[in-house]
Amino acid sequence: MAELNMLLEKLASVVGNENVSTAEDLLSTYRKAGTVEGGEPLAVVRPADTREVRELVKLARAEGYNLVFSSSAPPRLRGDSIPRGEGIIVDMSRMDKIVRLDRRNKVALIEAGVTYERLIPEVDKLGLKVLMPLLPKRGKSVLASCLEREPIIIPKYHWDMTDPMLCTELVFGTGDLFRTGSAAGPGTLEQQWAAGAAQKNPMGPAQTDFVRVVQGSQGTMAAVTWCSLKLEVKPEIHRIRFVPDAKLERLIDFTYRALRPRLGDEWLILNSYALATMVSEDPERIPDLAGEQAPFTVVYGVSGYQYLPEERVAYQERDLARHAQAAGVSATAEVPGCSWKKMERILASPSPEPYYKMRPKGDFLDIFFLTTLDQAPRFISVMEAQAERFGYPTQRIGIYIQPIQQGRNAHLEFTIYFNPEDRPKALELFDSASRALSEAGAFFSRPYGAWSDLAYARCPDTVRVLRKVKDMLDPDHVLNRGKLCFEIEGVS
Amino acid sequence: MTTATLETWKEISEAAYRDLENAVGAENVSREPAVLDGYAWQPTINDDPAKWVKRPVAVVLPSSTEEVQEVVRACNRHGLKFKAFSTGWGVYSGPTYDNVVQIDLRRMNRILEIDEKNMYALVEPYVCGAQLQAEAMKRGLNCHIIGAGPACSPLASATSGWGVGWDGVYMSYGHRNLLGAEWVLPDGEVIRVGSCDSGLGWFSPDGPGPSLRGLMRGSTGALSGLGVFTKCALKLYPWPGPSRVNVRGLLLDAKAEIPENVRFHLCFFPDRKRLADAVYRVGEAELGYLATRTAVAAFIYTFAPHLLRRIAGTRCLRDVLSRGVKWGFVIMLVGASEEEIAYQDAALRRILADHDGLSIEAMGVPAIGSMVFMNFFRVTAIPMVFRMGGLFSTALDRNDTWDTQLDWAEIGESIKRKWIERGGILDDLADNPFMALYESNMWAHCEEIFQYDARDPKHLASLEPMFIEFSVAAIEKCMEPLSATDARLRKIVSPLMGHYNEWQKKVSAMVDTNRAADTGMYCDEVDFDFSKVEPELKAKLDRLVERFRWTEDGPPS
Repeated sequence: MAELNMLLEKLASVVGNENVSTAEDLLSTYRKAGTVEGGEPLAVVRPADTREVRELVKLARAEGYNLVFSSSAPPRLRGDSIPRGEGIIVDMSRMDKIVRLDRRNKVALIEAGVTYERLIPEVDKLGLKVLMPLLPKRGKSVLASCLEREPIIIPKYHWDMTDPMLCTELVFGTGDLFRTGSAAGPGTLEQQWAAGAAQKNPMGPAQTDFVRVVQGSQGTMAAVTWCSLKLEVKPEIHRIRFVPDAKLERLIDFTYRALRPRLGDEWLILNSYALATMVSEDPERIPDLAGEQAPFTVVYGVSGYQYLPEERVAYQERDLARHAQAAGVSATAEVPGCSWKKMERILASPSPEPYYKMRPKGDFLDIFFLTTLDQAPRFISVMEAQAERFGYPTQRIGIYIQPIQQGRNAHLEFTIYFNPEDRPKALELFDSASRALSEAGAFFSRPYGAWSDLAYARCPDTVRVLRKVKDMLDPDHVLNRGKLCFEIEGVS
Repeated sequence: MTTATLETWKEISEAAYRDLENAVGAENVSREPAVLDGYAWQPTINDDPAKWVKRPVAVVLPSSTEEVQEVVRACNRHGLKFKAFSTGWGVYSGPTYDNVVQIDLRRMNRILEIDEKNMYALVEPYVCGAQLQAEAMKRGLNCHIIGAGPACSPLASATSGWGVGWDGVYMSYGHRNLLGAEWVLPDGEVIRVGSCDSGLGWFSPDGPGPSLRGLMRGSTGALSGLGVFTKCALKLYPWPGPSRVNVRGLLLDAKAEIPENVRFHLCFFPDRKRLADAVYRVGEAELGYLATRTAVAAFIYTFAPHLLRRIAGTRCLRDVLSRGVKWGFVIMLVGASEEEIAYQDAALRRILADHDGLSIEAMGVPAIGSMVFMNFFRVTAIPMVFRMGGLFSTALDRNDTWDTQLDWAEIGESIKRKWIERGGILDDLADNPFMALYESNMWAHCEEIFQYDARDPKHLASLEPMFIEFSVAAIEKCMEPLSATDARLRKIVSPLMGHYNEWQKKVSAMVDTNRAADTGMYCDEVDFDFSKVEPELKAKLDRLVERFRWTEDGPPS
């Protein structure tokens, strides 16, 4: 106890007494998430700025603490902010400034604690839109979503895996400060703005690209205090269409045909249960509503911008109709329980509370990975076989396919919905299905929890180099100790 | 860029040479001085080409990744360094040390796979842009071709060099087009970056977890300072035109059949503001397959350098080009359907009208359209940049907003004008930017091209002072100068940008314990000789360095 009190005093000396907490209800939110359990959070600290973040990292190096950075509000879904063993949680939510919005250059510069709920209306006032993942949690940090490589729902704007994130400020595990992209300098942000720059270029500085090393690292390489963010123009005209079909292969064919010439804005594929879960306000109605849907549905948006918006929408709709006909599918303006207007609202907002995947049964687990669109049906067969093996009804699996990188690959996500009392059974299915999908070739590019063992077993050469990188950027392993492939002896 | 004499060069040892022969076969290794000097002649962006670059001690031509590994291991065993070379282009392709084995990758020239559906190609280092484009077009696809032209290796620009091209508005930047890479590290071990290292194909470049792509390069590549890239997967982009463009003739004496779904506009605006605003609108309307701002005089010096010399001496013509048609913009539109090209064309014309611009639709002027089409589509005009003076160099700032790049064009023009008046460089009317847009989101690129004649001592004497003047201008504008990647200025520039070179040195030490890679273009630091630089300019640089040098708490406010 005396040791803990000393620790708390030291932390308070950095962030102030009022920003150090050991309240049990708060600590408990960092003990388990998704399939990850066993975290032992000792305290939650809330820094106000980069200076305090650096002081915390330096303190951690001096005292040997494990710092786990967290920017989003609960519920915690993936486990990256659950310490492996003991850890100090660094809650970045106080750093919630929208530092700058630049209409002309379509850029936001935001601190780590800025949520989608907060950013969207501010950006909207400028006639711009935030490039969002599908229904993020209301309290989801925009920066954290980017760092986790959550896929955005408009594939044509997903040029590279860092999108929509541009420049960042980093605090490495050494305590050193660094800035990436055109934010690196020379000069402060203010001096750069005065010179007309807007932190638009995500690459560099010079011959480094540390933002790519930090992205996807689950807080093991650096803390990120702010980032600049690519925004896009809000359309003058925007329509959502649905393409329901019994055969996923036809919808994939349609998707390839349409995405190649960059038709459409939003573009995603949902199975009947995932779609019903998204659109139904009444959890009781979800199974029936799912039964009314086609097995799979493409949801896409078409936009017209400032110049000739009607003409743009018209040519896009004509071209899309041609591709639909060639693929043997057709579009409609509504599906059971959802008009296009309603879907437009859903896609433009964070999830209502409680988080939408909680609706069907009260709890859920996601399995997601990257593949190419043409491989999706094969993985779905693997998942369905696993569900059957564990007695889970296949029609109750949520399936979400998000084309990314302009259709060159896709995020494929399965959701297992379950009653909280059935968690052990759901975990069994999750574990077995994850293994089976990995064996079938799933690329767990975001290896949360047990997926890290599956993912890194396949690439020992990558692991060898990543460990060297970790030792360079975080030599004392004070950042999210023991995660990914950075196991520490004696920490389970 | 660093240059050197051959004074300290020594022949390779017999034992090392035998190891190289064993690695690639005796017929694929040479230490013949005439052959080696062929590699030492790397004049482009060499600020003193009279010196050439270092002569390699041997050149090897591996045919596979395994052979590259064996060469690199031999270098490690014998205390030699290595430097990769694919299609080359400039001084950065040559050795910077005396004991370097040049690894010429020209035998690795295969397109290994084109995944038509998922729009990527897997290529070896010596595949050139024209080769990949021709194969991609047969499948309704296209590839990003960098400004250096279609003879250059897309692998080299995506993994190791820069990567900007006129098609950036639709096809992004070299590094951002990478979907995976095979990488021989300086110790001879191989890693693969992305999903390919898990044996799952070449579709995703990052992960699991952190991306090693961030280690291999930044906005500029490591220029072989971190190893050798032997394969990479690159994004391809849609090409809704014919599988082959019928062309008769070559370069400027060419006549191409213009595809019906292509429009090519030469746009002009009355002033910078209206050009700037219009181009922002072009981005927001998501128009364009290729776009650049290139001064009219640049077209003339490229296509008819003798004519430009005459124009330069004629005041009224000079004024017409420098003022009357200064604010030009070139954009190629490509539509996947008749309706799309009609929409794009109409939207562009509306933007032009709103910004008092006018356009010459080059396809409507067959004599021009058929001549210039391939020069833009395949970037074939670029080699002609050498015509005016035999050599050229460039001044680059950091890519950021379109506005900042227009600023840089004007800054570059003013610096050049001074040096033209002094007779320090050739007179191309000063305004000669190479500009490109990225990804319809209006971040952009500008480099200011200048021409010189290496036989003219006055020109050679101007290059280093100009290099410093451009660097000072970029730093003053809070922009990363090109010299950030030059060994002579790294020590000065690195502290202004988070001490990036201290991290590059750490990366180098991490993967290269024997220091086998030639790091002259990656993280080495040497002192710049300021004796040719005006004291006032040096003093200004010193003041800027003092002003912008990062403290313990970051950039000083």
